Amino acid sequence: MRTLLLVITFIFTMNITAQTSYEKGMNKAFALWDQQKNTEASQLFERISAAETDNWLPPYYAGLIEIVSSFGLKDETVLTTKLTRAKEFLDTASAISENNPEIMISYALLNTAYIAFDGAKYGMTLSGENAAIYQKALSIAPNNPRVVLSKTEWDMGAAKFFGKSTIPFCKDIERAITLFEAEEQTTPYYPYSGLERAKAISTECKKETSPKN
Amino acid sequence: MKTLLIALLTLLYVHTYAQSTISGKIIDQQGLPIIGANVYLKGTYDGTATNDQGVFSFETDATGIHTLIASSISFETYSKSDKINHFQNITIKLRDDVNTLDAVTVNAGTFNAGDNAKVTALKPLDIVTTAGALGDFVGALQTLPGTSNVAEDGRLFVRGGDAEETQIFVDGMRVFTPYSPSANNIPSRGRLSPFLFKGITFSTGGYSAEYGQALSSVLLLNSVNEPQEEKTDISIMTVGLGLGNTQIWDKSSLSVNANYINLAPYQELYPDNNEWHKPVASFGGEAVYRYKFNNDGLLKVYGAYSAVDFDLTQEDINEVNGVRFGLNNNNLYLNTSYQDFMEKDWSISTGISFASDQTKLKLDTADITDTENSAHFKLALKKYFSSSYKLNFGAEYFITDFKEDYSANTIENEYKFNNNLLGGFAEADIFFSKNLATKVGLRGEYSQLLQEFNLSPRLSLAYKAGQNAQFSLAYGEFFQNPRNEYLKFNTDFTAEKTTHYIANYQFVKNKQIFRAEAYYKDYNNLVKYNTAFTLSTSTYDNTGNGFAKGLDIFWRDNKTLKNTEYWMSYSYLDTKRNYRNYPTKATPDFASKHNASLVVKRWVEDWKSQIGFSYNYASGRSYTDPSTGRFLTEQAKSFNSLNFNYAYLISPQKILYLSVSNVLGTKNINGYQYADQPNTDGIFDRRTITPAADRFFFIGFFWTISKNKNYNQLDNL
Repeated sequence: MRTLLLVITFIFTMNITAQTSYEKGMNKAFALWDQQKNTEASQLFERISAAETDNWLPPYYAGLIEIVSSFGLKDETVLTTKLTRAKEFLDTASAISENNPEIMISYALLNTAYIAFDGAKYGMTLSGENAAIYQKALSIAPNNPRVVLSKTEWDMGAAKFFGKSTIPFCKDIERAITLFEAEEQTTPYYPYSGLERAKAISTECKKETSPKN
Repeated sequence: MKTLLIALLTLLYVHTYAQSTISGKIIDQQGLPIIGANVYLKGTYDGTATNDQGVFSFETDATGIHTLIASSISFETYSKSDKINHFQNITIKLRDDVNTLDAVTVNAGTFNAGDNAKVTALKPLDIVTTAGALGDFVGALQTLPGTSNVAEDGRLFVRGGDAEETQIFVDGMRVFTPYSPSANNIPSRGRLSPFLFKGITFSTGGYSAEYGQALSSVLLLNSVNEPQEEKTDISIMTVGLGLGNTQIWDKSSLSVNANYINLAPYQELYPDNNEWHKPVASFGGEAVYRYKFNNDGLLKVYGAYSAVDFDLTQEDINEVNGVRFGLNNNNLYLNTSYQDFMEKDWSISTGISFASDQTKLKLDTADITDTENSAHFKLALKKYFSSSYKLNFGAEYFITDFKEDYSANTIENEYKFNNNLLGGFAEADIFFSKNLATKVGLRGEYSQLLQEFNLSPRLSLAYKAGQNAQFSLAYGEFFQNPRNEYLKFNTDFTAEKTTHYIANYQFVKNKQIFRAEAYYKDYNNLVKYNTAFTLSTSTYDNTGNGFAKGLDIFWRDNKTLKNTEYWMSYSYLDTKRNYRNYPTKATPDFASKHNASLVVKRWVEDWKSQIGFSYNYASGRSYTDPSTGRFLTEQAKSFNSLNFNYAYLISPQKILYLSVSNVLGTKNINGYQYADQPNTDGIFDRRTITPAADRFFFIGFFWTISKNKNYNQLDNL
């Protein structure tokens, strides 16, 4: 009996060790990202992804870092290389988790990185693609705050481009904030973030709607 | 027993946690260290990045056989399975990833348009927003070097070749009758609507062995794989109406569009120099159906039908009352293609295209009916051995069945032929490194009509000389069966032949492209005949020959001026031929020595408008003045045209589009027509052939209705 207990404890301990190495790895990767060590963070996510073949989060973050860090680049070669790599990670993530709205809006963010680099070259084709992605994401997850937020931001960008008021979209931002606040954060390392950004946009909205002095 | 078990477990534990060190160095193909490469054991969390010397070292608890992965941006990922203790002080050499943007491209003779091309000379949008192109993709291509401006024809004339020497392919399948018919001296337009295509490759020489039966040039169009959303497009234009609709289902989608063009109201307002009995009226409809299979298979079916009808009398120096010309054309085109990726890096593409074209001509008293049914079958396989070695091979079969019924007064004749041809090709793409690549191909063709077999080798080579510059060379032999106009009277021919030699230099730096290309083309076995027109009684042979040589220069800059893009092209062409009924070697009347164009587009944010200009110049073309007794020795006036277009986004889904060609109303001359007989002073009278109208105006209103309010037709214009 004691032997059995010992064995069970042993196996259990080993199991715990395995679990914590995922947590350890993820924590370390987030810490690196926090310190702006984007390459190291992305590489660590890549390594975790290679170990955790049925978890979409590591490749998702590996891709997301590449996308976020490609905004503001001046060299098209570097941009394309980074975004091509990012797309491979997102493809891996979406093969694990199909029709995942978080991954879908990252694809849209990837397209936005191209459009931000050269609107004339990429804008016409990719903005249509983005509109379709947001449409689909919203139909799958109408109450996902990040989907609501990023779609609204996209619509606001388009309205700005056509010199129209962005105020009609403010109510959607408020809705996103409500959704963010109601969201139950149960899955570890799930990309729950976005509330701060929504609040910042909401502040801008309020500035525009309040009478000017 | 218990002790033993504990001991065993402890041993196991110790064993599990026995650490081994994995270490080594990562270098590139030149032996230089790669910094910051990601090295790790697959399936574990153990790994690190290489340091400034390319050296790495990390500890692992893993034992037994594992896979070591090394990956770095712009290199191919390395992986090796071995015992852990064998991964010590190892040297890993990473291969360049030749698919990256900074790798050399084999591109002599080729211009790419589209988002995915490494170097994009024209963007998809450029095809339709180039001033003067009037929404015809052929018009935009005419601003690229290597093309000659033949304003009265409208088709593509490439590097001293006539329009028949260029072939057009959609998704790899031949388009048999790509242009709408038109009257003499009125430019014809491409039948295919530009917004169905996402990628265009325009090759002005030295192209792949996959394409044959084109002496000068191929134009490859790739249709859109997946439409983005359901929508309805409405267009109201000064010349007609258009309606389009796209429906998307789970695995399939259907796009349909139809248009009706009638120039009667326009000609009422702005009469041109022809006497129209029935102004041009055309009806066209297109449909594309796409189906995605569970694997990566994609089936596309494209069908188009168009009908054109007109009747007019054109001036003629030998006929006091002019020449009456009536035309009725019905054209059906089907293109089905299937593409699939299979196991072991094989991919397959296959397709069938079919065209049925019937033209009824009324030429004074003669009635001519031409019926042409053609088909193309193709099967191509690709094997991807590695990113540095790919093989592409396949077979194709062309059928052309032509019949002409001629009746005038009491004469009735029928001419017909079957021009069937079997072709096969194989081509390898080899990258020796990121800086040196080659494409080697061979094509064989057997023509049943001419009963001959021709073998054409193709070779191109590209070398990247620096970060931004590359040199390319291309060589190829090209065969094409004589055109229908001759085959209907005589089939005792051999295929016409050209040999291309091309040298290209390209410099690409952030949104700026410079290209210079020199070429020499040798023409042989050209068809000759001995009468003023092609007749059934003429004597035909293949003794014609000629050459074309020149220099093409292209510069595009999207960087220097904010919100402004421009490109400039210049082509120098020196060509002479002795073919058709030429008494001697001469420069054909469609070739001009100097061609230049400048295209400027500016986006004005405050006005929500895109303003565009284009300027085209072509030096005078040759003509024959019978009074001199010499052949094609005179030179006409040069051609100048300044075109303007303006697109205004009223709202995201409503666009107003205005376009004027030849704003300045420059009096251009397309050529001269001489009297058959000299007048009483012994001089041949002549008539100047001018464009039907100096200017052309176009105003359109385009409205898109879709769920997503941002989508619009700007990319259709």
